[in-house]
Amino acid sequence: MSNEVIVMKNISKQFKVLNRHEGLKGSIQDLFSRDYKIIKAVDDVSLTVNKGEIIGYLGPNGAGKSTTIKIMTGVLEPSAGEIFVDGRMPYKDRTANSENIGVVFGQRSQLWWNLPLIESFNLLRNIYLVPEKDYRNMLELYRSLVDLEPILHKPVRQMSLGQRTLSDILAAFLHNPGIVFLDEPTIGLDVSMKARIRELIRGLNEVKGTTVILTTHDMGDVDALCKRIIIIDKGRKIYDNDIEHLKSYFGSYRTLRMRLGDDSWVEQVIDEKKTDVMHVMQEMQKEHKIKDIQLQEISTEEVIRKIYEGGESA
Amino acid sequence: MTGLKKKTALTRAGIIESLQFRLSTAVMLFANLIYLALVYFLWKAIYDSSGVDVVNGMTFYDTMIYLILATAIFNLLEMFIVWDMSRAIQSGEIIMHLLKPMRYRLYTFWSYSGAHVNNFFLSFVPTFIVVVVITKGAIPIGINLLYFMVSLLLALIVNFNIEMLVAPVCLYTQSTWGINIVKETVVLLLSGASIPLAFFPEGLRQAVEYLPFRAVYDIPLTVLLAKNGTDSLSGLLPKLGIQLFWCVLLSVCGNLFWNHAVKKITVNGG
Repeated sequence: MSNEVIVMKNISKQFKVLNRHEGLKGSIQDLFSRDYKIIKAVDDVSLTVNKGEIIGYLGPNGAGKSTTIKIMTGVLEPSAGEIFVDGRMPYKDRTANSENIGVVFGQRSQLWWNLPLIESFNLLRNIYLVPEKDYRNMLELYRSLVDLEPILHKPVRQMSLGQRTLSDILAAFLHNPGIVFLDEPTIGLDVSMKARIRELIRGLNEVKGTTVILTTHDMGDVDALCKRIIIIDKGRKIYDNDIEHLKSYFGSYRTLRMRLGDDSWVEQVIDEKKTDVMHVMQEMQKEHKIKDIQLQEISTEEVIRKIYEGGESA
Repeated sequence: MTGLKKKTALTRAGIIESLQFRLSTAVMLFANLIYLALVYFLWKAIYDSSGVDVVNGMTFYDTMIYLILATAIFNLLEMFIVWDMSRAIQSGEIIMHLLKPMRYRLYTFWSYSGAHVNNFFLSFVPTFIVVVVITKGAIPIGINLLYFMVSLLLALIVNFNIEMLVAPVCLYTQSTWGINIVKETVVLLLSGASIPLAFFPEGLRQAVEYLPFRAVYDIPLTVLLAKNGTDSLSGLLPKLGIQLFWCVLLSVCGNLFWNHAVKKITVNGG
């Protein structure tokens, strides 16, 4: 139990959805219909998360990421399987569980819309029963990580999306929870704000040792923050390992670009398991003059795309 | 008393939050004036056409005082839980409420409490003072005010529980508008907020005695106006007992219903 803060064993979640029919006649039929289909949002997923990790939880849209997070936070009850978050079953003990977790859903806010941020903080401090001293210390830490002053006395409804997201992340960490769930925290933000948010998350993780579960579609987030990633697709876990392994998992691809005698560039994607870069260059040199070369590593984004599009498990 | 701190923090935030809407307070006052004008002319016509001064034991004066104060209580107690909950469910916002380290019903109740405090001081008290001054002694000023505060608090809890019994229905029906209208109409009519219960036909009046709605308006108003012997403890306690009874019964039912309804979210995902 020591280090494992989340343990999921064979978790599945099914939803019963009414089969809708088209048109007016169909809609009337639907009123009396018992024709349900079962959707498996999460299908037999097992995983463990250790204390202090930042995990990138990835998958295409509709893969079951949010459903998993909702199960971990206790707002959804799994259809099958066992889950323990800090030794508790979250759906049975939602209120107690929520004292030890922080949540940011990128598209909604837990802040009080009409109140200045500091009042939301005040309120959260009282709801989570944060001791005065810890609260002061946390605000100090926040000040050292981000520029708090411009937003602290601003009503949330007047904030830009970036400021609001920043505020929501700060609010989620305020009671110093053991685990924080960040569901697409950088969605819709500009590059500089994304960078600030990543720095903030990393800083809080380092100082407070908070475990972070991060879902995102932005591979920049993953590269900047996560050592380990978990990928699910169609409800099933298809990858769970270090980010370094990911690139070799799908083959060691690199892209070789060569400028030829007529100044045109040619590109060649090389799988280093089958051949190596020098060999390709030698072959090229037999027929062309090579004036310049560039060698590009395959990006995380490309690997992930190949996985999403391939979809088979390994 | 750590639990209390959570609650008063919510009350405090509610007060600050509702103080942000100065304009809406003004608009509400204006709307009330129009409503009261309507009530005035309507009942004036009723009394004029009846040809007698006292109808069902109430003079025109009595009726007006009753209805004005009923309106003031209505403004004080008004909650939008049915709306708020259905919107929160449709937008998925409800998750953020469920993830607070407080039971949802408590959290909701205390989130509204700040608005109630504001309404009490900014709307109810001024209205009450105006009525007292204009009617010059029609409302007794004494221990009945203290009793009224207790009765009002119980009315607030009963009203909250009625809201919390209706609101989760939207989880099953997906539509809220009609349910909310039905609830409002039923409560306003059967509680004696729009027509004093004394004017009800005998059968209906008897039936209403056994319903929770009169605990919201009729009882606190009776206590405030020190009618039916409620200025003595022997007259007062049975009334408060009825309110307390409904508080307990409705919150037990509301709890059971909510626990069942919340499964719709946690099992079916809303």
